[in-house]
Amino acid sequence: MKTTLYEKDGSMVAVFEGRLDTAAAPQCEQDLKPLNDCTAGEIVLDCNALEYISSSGLRLFLSVLKHAKPKGIHVFLTGMNADLSSVFKMTGLINLFELR
Amino acid sequence: MKALDGTMTQKQHAGKRKPFSRSLVLPNDVQAVPRLQHFVDEVCDSVDFNQAQTMQMNLALEEAVVNVMKYAYPKDTPGDVNVDVCCDEGRLVFTISDSGTPFDPTAREKVDTTLSLEERPIGGLGIFLVRELMDSIHYERVGGRNVLTLCKKLGL
Repeated sequence: MKTTLYEKDGSMVAVFEGRLDTAAAPQCEQDLKPLNDCTAGEIVLDCNALEYISSSGLRLFLSVLKHAKPKGIHVFLTGMNADLSSVFKMTGLINLFELR
Repeated sequence: MKALDGTMTQKQHAGKRKPFSRSLVLPNDVQAVPRLQHFVDEVCDSVDFNQAQTMQMNLALEEAVVNVMKYAYPKDTPGDVNVDVCCDEGRLVFTISDSGTPFDPTAREKVDTTLSLEERPIGGLGIFLVRELMDSIHYERVGGRNVLTLCKKLGL
């Protein structure tokens, strides 16, 4: 599992590659910390190369959203395959994020 | 000879899957989750599950097993999590057991997935997902062990 952050046109993009399971979550959480310092713009969670997510990963996504929303920052999910998207639907989290 | 081979293939497709059982013992350390994944992948491969079904089984098993890894034993106390699976009569039965503190994960309150972001608690999705993904979930305390049984029907 690899998490990469980069800035693009004033937005922060987080790219997830591999399996975000409970074993991988603590490192991913560390890697996502800079997102909590965002004060403007938008955040894109790029899931094109994300193969799997469990509740430990969902918790991290939700945490990004909880930090961003009060600051007026929009959080977009992008590139989810059908399997991942079914998990977001099942848990109702799909309704909390914006999709792109 | 050709005809005989053809008959056998047909029979196998008619749901006469060979029963099997397998076991895995993991430490109560979440870093062992990838070992669980390999185990579940192999089981799903044996019953011809597709990628979506395999993902669902991995998710359900990870949530149930991680729950034991995190909460069954006192902090920093090593303990085992046993995962046994048997396939028979058109269903997969996973049994997850431990010798930790009595704990019934099925007694947890159901998660409300319709809550807004502000109201939504950050955790608690694990057992909810197990319920959603499996056909049945059952807990019992047997001989000083927590035993959680998860069933999934196999399509014919």
